[in-house]
Amino acid sequence: MLILSFNFLLFRVMPGDIEFVLIGKTVTPETADELRKYYGLDQPLPVQFLVYLKQTFTGELGTSISYRAGVPVEDLLGPYMLRTFVLVGLGTAIAIFAGVIFGRAAAWRRGTAFDRVGGTFFLIFYCIPTFLFALVLLTLFVRYIPGWPTHGEFSDEYYNMDFLGKVWDRTIHVLLPLFALVIESIAAFSIITRSALVDVLTEEYMVTAVAKGLRGRQVLKNHAMPNAMLPVVTVVAMNVGWILGGAIMIEVIFSYQGLGYLTYMAVFAYDYPLLQAVFMLEAVAVVVANFIADITLFRLDPRLKI
Amino acid sequence: MSKLKSRIEFILKYVPLLIWGLLNERQQERARMLYRSGTKTWKQFRGNLGGMFGLYVFVFFLAMAILAPWLSTHDDPNSPTWARTNPVYAPPSLDYLFGTDYNGKDVYSLTVWGARASLLVGILASLISIVIGTSVGIAAGFFGKISDEVLMRVTDFFLVLPWFPLMIVLAALMGRSFNNVIIVIGITSWPSTARIVRAQVMSVKEMGFVERARAIGATDFHVIRKHISPNVFPLIFANTILLIANSIFSEAFLDFFGLGDPDVISWGMMLEEAYNYSAFSSFAWWWILAPGGCIVLLIVAFYLIGDALDEIFNPRLRKR
Repeated sequence: MLILSFNFLLFRVMPGDIEFVLIGKTVTPETADELRKYYGLDQPLPVQFLVYLKQTFTGELGTSISYRAGVPVEDLLGPYMLRTFVLVGLGTAIAIFAGVIFGRAAAWRRGTAFDRVGGTFFLIFYCIPTFLFALVLLTLFVRYIPGWPTHGEFSDEYYNMDFLGKVWDRTIHVLLPLFALVIESIAAFSIITRSALVDVLTEEYMVTAVAKGLRGRQVLKNHAMPNAMLPVVTVVAMNVGWILGGAIMIEVIFSYQGLGYLTYMAVFAYDYPLLQAVFMLEAVAVVVANFIADITLFRLDPRLKI
Repeated sequence: MSKLKSRIEFILKYVPLLIWGLLNERQQERARMLYRSGTKTWKQFRGNLGGMFGLYVFVFFLAMAILAPWLSTHDDPNSPTWARTNPVYAPPSLDYLFGTDYNGKDVYSLTVWGARASLLVGILASLISIVIGTSVGIAAGFFGKISDEVLMRVTDFFLVLPWFPLMIVLAALMGRSFNNVIIVIGITSWPSTARIVRAQVMSVKEMGFVERARAIGATDFHVIRKHISPNVFPLIFANTILLIANSIFSEAFLDFFGLGDPDVISWGMMLEEAYNYSAFSSFAWWWILAPGGCIVLLIVAFYLIGDALDEIFNPRLRKR
């Protein structure tokens, strides 16, 4: 609800005048009035806000004004959303899994060469902007593996393929963006896991566990991991926005037609209704992710009670 | 040469003395304490390998930004006749250290000039976000009750909003200009600072010396200025450095997205052009590697400095 209001206000208050963009300068005053009425801009702000709320809850997100002009935004979004969901969902799942494993290994061998080399490596990857990494990846693939698809989400002959061919085609197209996303997020997750685990491992009950005669693996699995997972879950949830940002860049670079690519197009076409809708979706996605993280925390940590 | 040296020595010797003479006794005492704690921090910092590496890299880039007009080997990129006659897509050579781009611009000179934009945006944007974050944090933590409730809800709200999309939307709505990039980054990155400051303020507020100050009739403003701020500052210091790293990251991202100022040379802009003019298909790796490498180096440097400072100012971490 708050997001909706903010979203509405942001697009009304900001200096890049929405009216100016929607209507344009070259039209006659009568046409301008007509258009203003069509977009509902002739009403006072509170009325506009109510109308906006009603439309949002009934699934009308306005009309796209440039990119495939005249198409209702909600009809446009579906396939893009699905593509981004596949990319980000799959990427995050793999990255969490791999990141936790790497982080666990590094924390367990803390101070050894493995930890240092891995730590430096991940720190550098953590600091590489996603778009830069994707760009380098793209350059290398175009040069050294010429046949590898680096563009779009299916090839030109897609519609002539049989079912299996189609599946394969889509998979191979999604692999490269997915790889870029996963590498970037693995770095972040493994750093978080490592520091959380190191925190837990230096606690005194770890010494107790070892003194009881438990083997290292058991200590790690049964005593350290459950406690270390709590901060990891929190930080992962906070990083969802970050991952989404990374996905935007990756989608733009690999021309993968997801929400990020749509954002890019909307920004450059000054398509504010579309931009507004996409931004709302992204905000809602992050809120939902945070909500899921909270629920997971409650399940993981018996101390938390409402 | 030796004359210059002796002159510098003279200045180094007598200017501090002059300033020292101008201070009154209380200020002298404070300056002495500042100097002592400064040298202590510096000693700890020097022991930190990563932090020192980061500092060297930072100084290197700072020098690069300041000395850009003398370091660039080809004419000033801001001049209109820039690079008319140079070869296009030339690989690195002695003449063009990092090669040339689609327009025949010398990538090395562009990279040198780009350091200015990155550092400027990084520092100014984090300054804005520190100012907003600290004020919000202190107001929320110190006054408590309703102002805390309201301000923290606002902070949470900004914390939850997806950061990159928000930046894109704001930058797109505000238009392409250098100042706007700084403002956008500044107003999207303050919530974490506000959280940290609030937590610290709340714990400092309960300490004995605040109560003592209150008992002898100190005003809110006085307590905040004299007792709260000095205790919050070290925490923010490390955070600021990390914020600068983030701001540089964001600036490169916005520029790459085509939302930066087209007239200002920056590393993000160079990468955007490299992407738009298909540097990847003509394998102009120097065009991507030069600005990209600089971005990564600078960000890594700030992270390392921030980490080192965090370790010094945050005693909980030092045990390990």
